[in-house]
Amino acid sequence: MPPKGVTAAIRAVLVCVLLASGSADVLAQPPHGVQVPPSPDAQTPSTAQVLPPGPGAQTLSPSTAQALPPGAGTQTPSPSTAQALPPGLGAQTPSTAAPGPPRSAQAVREFLGLGPAPDGEAAKRGAPVYAANCSFCHGPQARGAEGPSLIYSELVLKDQHGTLIADFLRAGRPEKGMPAFATLTDEQRKDVAEFLHQQVEDVANRGTFQIKNIVLGNPKKGARYVAAHCLGCHSLTGDLRGLAEKWRPADLQHNWIMPPRTGDRRAITATVHAPQATWHGRVEQIDDFRVVLLEGSGQFVVVVRDAGVTVELHDPLAPHVAMIGNLADSDMINVTAYLETLQ
Amino acid sequence: MKHPRVVWQVLCLAALLSTANANQLDAATLGQPPTTSWPTFNGDYTGDRFSSLKQIDTSNVSSLQLQWSYRITEVGAQRGAPVPVIKSTPLLVNGTLYFTIPNHVYAADARTGATLWSYSWADEGGHLVGNRGLGMYQSWLYFLGPDDWVICVDSNTGKERWRKQIADARLQYFTTTAPLVVRNHVLVGVGGDAMDIRGFLVSLDPETGDVQWKWWSTPGAGEPGIESWPSVDAAMHGGGGTWLPGTYDPELNLIYWGTGNTNPVFAGQGRKGANLYTTSIVALNLDTGKLVWHFQVSPHDTHDWDNTEMPVLVDTNIDGRPRKLLAQAARNGWFVVLDRTNGKVLVSTPYVKVNWAKGVDKRGQPIPDPAVQPTVSGSMTIISATNWMSPSYSPATGLFYVNAVEGFGIYYLLDTDPKPSGYGGTVNVLGTNTRFLKAIDVNTGKVRWQHEYSNLNGAPATLGPGLLSTAGNLVFTGDDQGNLIAFGADQGEILWHFRASAAQSNGPITYLLDGKQWVVLAAGDTLYAYTLAPAARGIP
Repeated sequence: MPPKGVTAAIRAVLVCVLLASGSADVLAQPPHGVQVPPSPDAQTPSTAQVLPPGPGAQTLSPSTAQALPPGAGTQTPSPSTAQALPPGLGAQTPSTAAPGPPRSAQAVREFLGLGPAPDGEAAKRGAPVYAANCSFCHGPQARGAEGPSLIYSELVLKDQHGTLIADFLRAGRPEKGMPAFATLTDEQRKDVAEFLHQQVEDVANRGTFQIKNIVLGNPKKGARYVAAHCLGCHSLTGDLRGLAEKWRPADLQHNWIMPPRTGDRRAITATVHAPQATWHGRVEQIDDFRVVLLEGSGQFVVVVRDAGVTVELHDPLAPHVAMIGNLADSDMINVTAYLETLQ
Repeated sequence: MKHPRVVWQVLCLAALLSTANANQLDAATLGQPPTTSWPTFNGDYTGDRFSSLKQIDTSNVSSLQLQWSYRITEVGAQRGAPVPVIKSTPLLVNGTLYFTIPNHVYAADARTGATLWSYSWADEGGHLVGNRGLGMYQSWLYFLGPDDWVICVDSNTGKERWRKQIADARLQYFTTTAPLVVRNHVLVGVGGDAMDIRGFLVSLDPETGDVQWKWWSTPGAGEPGIESWPSVDAAMHGGGGTWLPGTYDPELNLIYWGTGNTNPVFAGQGRKGANLYTTSIVALNLDTGKLVWHFQVSPHDTHDWDNTEMPVLVDTNIDGRPRKLLAQAARNGWFVVLDRTNGKVLVSTPYVKVNWAKGVDKRGQPIPDPAVQPTVSGSMTIISATNWMSPSYSPATGLFYVNAVEGFGIYYLLDTDPKPSGYGGTVNVLGTNTRFLKAIDVNTGKVRWQHEYSNLNGAPATLGPGLLSTAGNLVFTGDDQGNLIAFGADQGEILWHFRASAAQSNGPITYLLDGKQWVVLAAGDTLYAYTLAPAARGIP
């Protein structure tokens, strides 16, 4: 029950006191790096891959959520929620919505159901054997030349550890122009099989993808853009220096457009007005029904967004947000090339 | 010989009782507006997910009461998926709800949420990204294992009747869709773009699982459309999954299906051309699977913009004439309204801000800007504007509802080979996405109202939520932070919400049972079932 004297319109609850430092990682997003695999599949949207799988991506962090006392649900959410809760449900804390995408190559492999991982050592041994015997017809990466692509081959895709491929190579398919490779050893034939599996892995397992050298822009043009647009807030001899050492190029390109929201300086803050009170602090969570603030004192405040409550958001990164969707690709890659030169 | 006669009578009575208890889907209800049942993925064949029920309306929705919840507790982490997420739209037939997660089917009493039976499948591969639900024919349910198996189970017992494999998971086909049953056809689509599949839609016999016909998403040698590919080989590996159900017009005997992204996904240099019939809406004859017309919403796709979003059937009057139309809010941010008798365009316009199009061609299909394609150094354009989550159309408001995401990402080309393969690229999202519920006027394509969901972080788009509209002037959906929400359908004001244990993750359904209107939504591993509080139903 809300204490008397606090109107239903406000129902701000001091949930608990946590050290600000303890919650600092709540909203920390890992850098949007190339090591994060692309979307788990076409059915999951492309946005999936940059969502950090860690806590805090969508809602209250586990630490914050756990700090809500049992039964807090009867105080903060709307009356309809409170009434409808059957025994036990009220104790459930809001949890993150989506499991994050798996990050390692092996995890992506399992998620996609790609089968056993190729034997990398055997694939390395098989590479020269393949190059000498197979690449003329099937291309250097087995994508086809005179002969068909082997990475689509049913025989290759159904093979496990060379059992099908080795037998096939020993006999060939002479009637279709595929010679027998009877002179190769069994070991060599299995190594060729693993080389082929490695080619499939490189194509199909998004967890192995690496962004290439993207620094192809014109640094002089980039310098002109920076001079015209960035120096009101940033300094060539100060915060813009050394970014290339801090981040790999694709991260740099992402982060100069949309910096990670690390630290108080880049955090969204809000001023929340209710008829009888005003709060100010760092926004920890906001949805259509409540806003969670971390006040300067280190206290969390949960304000229910009832009628009469207004929320003013202040985003220190607003000029960066404004670039998204408006920045020309040429400016983007030129600025990246220029920032790479600022030692 | 009295005794045997008594036994015989008892047996006879038992047989009668078991017939009465046996769940049997009355074929006549299929395709009818759903009121006392929800017998297909979309409730009926239109895909509009509109219910004529109005016991729950704008005046009383705030008194919705949770009657029961059903939490899946015994499954735990599945391969690559730490927590089970119910993405399926439940079926409701004769008081029983049927719903799924990957590899699992559940039957629950719709009045209490008690488990009646469950069925588990042990997969040998395939992608566990989700399972959208079931199809039903007479007393049989049709369920897909992720590894391309179609499994027919008895809706009364959960016992398996037969299984058929329609593709090979080792070739990277996988199956997540809800089979669509129309007359004596079980229509099943496939997904899979890690390895350049050739998409197809297959029609199976409901009794035996035998293939009746198979429609390939890309043309073969000498077939119409092959001119949109540089080679037959490219077309044979051109993608075009069919991984969501479609819709059906019984008068025209046409099914309408959205086709998935083109392959290789982000690397288009090896497949110059429009790449038919990927990323399209296709109209096929139900009985033959023959293509009748097509409309390509995302020609020469290089952004993973599967066009599988629901092609919703809309019947309306234009200039006093009744018209058979079809509307789709596509993943590439484009909204189209077509004449579903012939595929001719009425509306073709973006519903989010897009930078990738240079207008439309003479058929009304968007023209992709060749300057906006994944490149080695990066190219910025929109992320997917929507996805598999179900839209809704209300004939009462004339509005098409879609949960949309506005945001941008940098698309990189990774595979520069003249013959690329698989994904061939990636996208680095810029992380300031905003999610909207948009209400689009089907006559103009203009957004009549929209609600921006407050969210501190970039809105994730991996989960639903889907949408349901009702004659009670309501739209049911959820945000991405665990709130189930009811909006006013005509104005977009929030009228009810409930904080669930996870974000809403499926398409909501509604039906009348024992005179009460129920609303059922899933959030993560839990199904929530609501009715009005007795007082709000006028019961003292």
